[in-house]
Amino acid sequence: MRLRTSHIIGLFALLSMSTTLAQKVSYEEYDLDNGLHVILHQDNNAPVVTTSVMYHVGAKDENPEKTGFAHFFEHLLFEGTENIARGEWRKIVSSRGGQMNANTTQDRTYYYVSFPSNNLELGLWLESERLMHPVINKIGVETQSEVVQEERRMRYDNSPYGRWREQMYINLFKKHPYRWQTIGSLEHLANASLEDFKEFNKKYYVPNNAVLVVAGDIEIDKTKNKIQEYFGAIPKGKEIQRNTFTEDPIVSTIKAKYHDPNIQIPAIFLGYRTPAQTDREAYVLDMISTYLSDGKSSKLYKKLVDEKKKALQVFAFNGSQEDYGAYVVGALPVGETTLEDLKMEIDEEISKLQSELITEKDHQKLLNKFENNFVNSNSSISGIANSLARYHMLYNDTSLINNEIEIYQSITREEISAVANKYLKPSQRVELEYLPQEATVN
Amino acid sequence: MNKILITLILGFVALNLQAQIDRSKMPEAGPTPEINLNDPQRFELNNGLKVLVVENHKLPRVSIQLLIDNPPILEGDKAGVSSFTASLLGNGSKSIPKDDFNEEVDFLGARISFGSQSAFASSLSKYFPRILELMADAAINPNFIEEEFEKEKQKLLTALKAEEKDVSAIANRVQNALVYGTDHPYGEFITEESVNNVTLFDVIQFYEDYFVPANAYLVVIGDVRFDNVKTLVTKNFMPWTKAVPPSFQFSKPLNAQYTQINFIDVPNAVQSEIAVESLVDLKMKEEDYLPSIMANFILGGGSVSRLEQNIREDKAYAYYSRSRLSDDKYGFATFKAYTGVRNSVTDSSVVEILKEMDKIIKEPVSNEELINAKATYVGNFVMALEQPSTIARYALNIETESLPKDFYKTYLEKIEAISVADIQKAAQKYFSTNNARIVVTGKGSDVLNNLEQLTFNGKKVPIKYYDKYANEIDKPDNSVTIPEGMTAHDVLEKYIEAIGGKEKLSEVTSYAIKAEADMQGTKLNLEIMKTSKNQFMKEIKYMGNSISKEVVDGDKGYTIQQNRHKDMGEELLKDLKEESAPFAELNLLKTSMEVEGIEVINGKKAYKLKLSDVKSTFYDIETALKVRDVMSVNVDGKIMVMTMDYDDYKEVAGIKFPFSITESMGPQKWNFIIQEIKVNEGVSDVDFE
Repeated sequence: MRLRTSHIIGLFALLSMSTTLAQKVSYEEYDLDNGLHVILHQDNNAPVVTTSVMYHVGAKDENPEKTGFAHFFEHLLFEGTENIARGEWRKIVSSRGGQMNANTTQDRTYYYVSFPSNNLELGLWLESERLMHPVINKIGVETQSEVVQEERRMRYDNSPYGRWREQMYINLFKKHPYRWQTIGSLEHLANASLEDFKEFNKKYYVPNNAVLVVAGDIEIDKTKNKIQEYFGAIPKGKEIQRNTFTEDPIVSTIKAKYHDPNIQIPAIFLGYRTPAQTDREAYVLDMISTYLSDGKSSKLYKKLVDEKKKALQVFAFNGSQEDYGAYVVGALPVGETTLEDLKMEIDEEISKLQSELITEKDHQKLLNKFENNFVNSNSSISGIANSLARYHMLYNDTSLINNEIEIYQSITREEISAVANKYLKPSQRVELEYLPQEATVN
Repeated sequence: MNKILITLILGFVALNLQAQIDRSKMPEAGPTPEINLNDPQRFELNNGLKVLVVENHKLPRVSIQLLIDNPPILEGDKAGVSSFTASLLGNGSKSIPKDDFNEEVDFLGARISFGSQSAFASSLSKYFPRILELMADAAINPNFIEEEFEKEKQKLLTALKAEEKDVSAIANRVQNALVYGTDHPYGEFITEESVNNVTLFDVIQFYEDYFVPANAYLVVIGDVRFDNVKTLVTKNFMPWTKAVPPSFQFSKPLNAQYTQINFIDVPNAVQSEIAVESLVDLKMKEEDYLPSIMANFILGGGSVSRLEQNIREDKAYAYYSRSRLSDDKYGFATFKAYTGVRNSVTDSSVVEILKEMDKIIKEPVSNEELINAKATYVGNFVMALEQPSTIARYALNIETESLPKDFYKTYLEKIEAISVADIQKAAQKYFSTNNARIVVTGKGSDVLNNLEQLTFNGKKVPIKYYDKYANEIDKPDNSVTIPEGMTAHDVLEKYIEAIGGKEKLSEVTSYAIKAEADMQGTKLNLEIMKTSKNQFMKEIKYMGNSISKEVVDGDKGYTIQQNRHKDMGEELLKDLKEESAPFAELNLLKTSMEVEGIEVINGKKAYKLKLSDVKSTFYDIETALKVRDVMSVNVDGKIMVMTMDYDDYKEVAGIKFPFSITESMGPQKWNFIIQEIKVNEGVSDVDFE
């Protein structure tokens, strides 16, 4: 045991000096005349190519009376185009051995397809078709709106703890569209007209609101020519006017309750509103989140799950977003432990963070964890494509794919304490008691 | 010179083409990329541990995987012992305390985790020697202690409770239990009882029996050098004692004799989980393995499959609809077609799944479907090579599944050679609509009526009912008829008789009840008093403070809600006056009433009497005791339903009183336990002032 302690100290000295050796991701970026931003990443190690497009439209761009549109489009835009018959999209991708998917957040919508590299051109054709002339018609809208209803039932209504996020965000945000979830309102979707959808498409699905990434086993010059051929002719859209929403600060604790029929064990969620993800303080909160709950030696896990055995699980979630973020920490009680008790235990650790500096060793541990995450974040072509698009579109700085680690490395212990003081006061948060639904009445 | 000219001309051609791309045609694929399928490097230790190493220097990281390929293990009445073993492994070692172990792994930014017969670690490659050392030490010299065992037990029990109402957890458990039987390793599941049967000794025994090197593989992938790996692995894993696990034979589970629906009622479900399943004997080494998985791919293997096209894209019944054909070298594989659909289309979805299965069995697939399926397999194969773990996985499969050495080297040729007839033959062999179990987990009151009428190919599909733990049960009986001649009067008389008899009850001039409920650690106190002089008092106290009080004294009454005093309106007063009689049933005997019906209350059948527009009362058919009141109450202008359940009847002064009263309204629920009942004493007029 004594031996081991000295081992750690030895390593510690060594680590402080070592630098990150992760391979740099090389890339090239430029704009087409129609405003489409293009990023290329060449890696010929494996015969794989990913073509992806990120559109700067998410749930936060929706009209409060028409929520769920952004996510609905993620479904609708697989229905077909002028040159791709309805129902053919998936077949085409599959018939060339490709894999595709899409996802929507509150800030953006992302489509990607990966193929063996002999199908680069097919990927470009598919994504340019989607942008150029999708077919938006009654049958597609009707089918996909039913599919989305089932998605909602599965993810939210039939799933244990499926609505914590929704319940937390309703309370954290009063003005900002982050107050609704990407799945949106089924009623809004049901009442929307075909014109509404066409309007939405015309406004947001334009090249000047998108970034195209082609990554993997490509030749740069040839790829550039092909991109010009497939995307060059798409007309530029109108400039998008975006609203800004400023939330009033939370000055007294917001208490909320929700009853979930799918659970037996209650949970407590403590949610804090945090700054935009580009803000340095958001990075500090990432570190705080890791410090409190990532890994078996993290403060909350060790205390609540391991030593005191009060919690079945502790979790933290640092939702980084464009305008505001949310840091949510919570726990599920074991046995007779009350939610109040869990809350007190969590508060105790947060107030330590506010009143004392974390130890140098814990600080180094955080840096090591972030270094490890950084190396692993660029381990697949499709992952690199996603990161390139995200850093360009939501951070306005593609080079973060290689440099973001330096931000974490520059964060001091003093900053950690200052940010904990600034953002994690009990009076600034939402306390959500997530409870089982008892006794259904006959 | 010439070369330059040619390049220029080609450049012009390219420019011209650029203006002319034909968007109406799908671009052709280029020549198939070359693939490189290397073999991992390998060595073996004397204790039997086989080691595979894949060097890949693209990123400065390494992963280490330990896999013990033992035959299936039946845990029986100690189901959960493997789960304990998994969670107790990795808590340090005999020489490194748990906290130090966890601290060091986290400090290095690394991960180490254990399964009951496996382990996994990953880190930056600069920490490989230490992480390997820690992992080996924790694996070979585990730190099993009672305190950790008790803790895991609490967590496991809580986790079991947590998923009690989880529709997909219930569905998964029952699907496996029904297809394999609960006495099979793949069909058994853990319960509160089986968890409580496990001791620390059992865990140690399990570890000693099964965590042995005879069938073990260690796979190291990443930025490492083979020689170095060999030296370090040898050093760290040499002390692992050579041993072979015990092996057991299992009787082969049998398929259902005829296609049937197995229904599990989960009242909180908003979607039905459907699985059409059967046992198959498919091994990777069989000749027809690849055609079989391709047949499944066409039926339900992905987003272009027939099931997904039909149920999601065409009918929009579900978000997903898939099928899975597993393989198992011991012969215990399954076929399963599954989906999660909204309640109202449950029966139609079952029919659509069966139709699609029937179709692929009876009719050859189209050439186009086959070509597309092949392309998908080729594409997936090529793209999988991006990850260095792929070649390790292939090498492991060859070894553990007894595949020919060139299985993956000739994979693309084998895919190419599959014919339409091969697919149909496989479908006929592995898919069945004649002896399938259609396991439906969902809300009975919404879906059963239609499921009971379900026919397929002109035949009615029989239905069996199971509880959440796969025990066969009777059909939930909602259609009991009221015995001929049974009147409300009879029900009330029987009740009065059961609690003490008319005579005894008439002697009661007053009673007082004190009860207490526990609300997350704080006490809620209830006090009720009644007299035969139309006096009634009900007070609820929270942490000693009165939060609600209702008082009736003859023709006047008032309420106090959170310190607000209010005189009662006429209507409420009238209702409560009726309530105020010590035994309201005595008065009811004089009125005429019908028995409304029979309902199941807390698992038992009870007669329902409608006492007024806003109140119904239930009396147990067997014991005749009152088991529930249901009332509509007006709360701030909103009509809410309140129920009172009565249980645990005990005698006081010769009369039976319920000693447990559970009040619930909306999502709230309080269980009051009676602490004291006084009959004909302790109540005076002062109490109703």
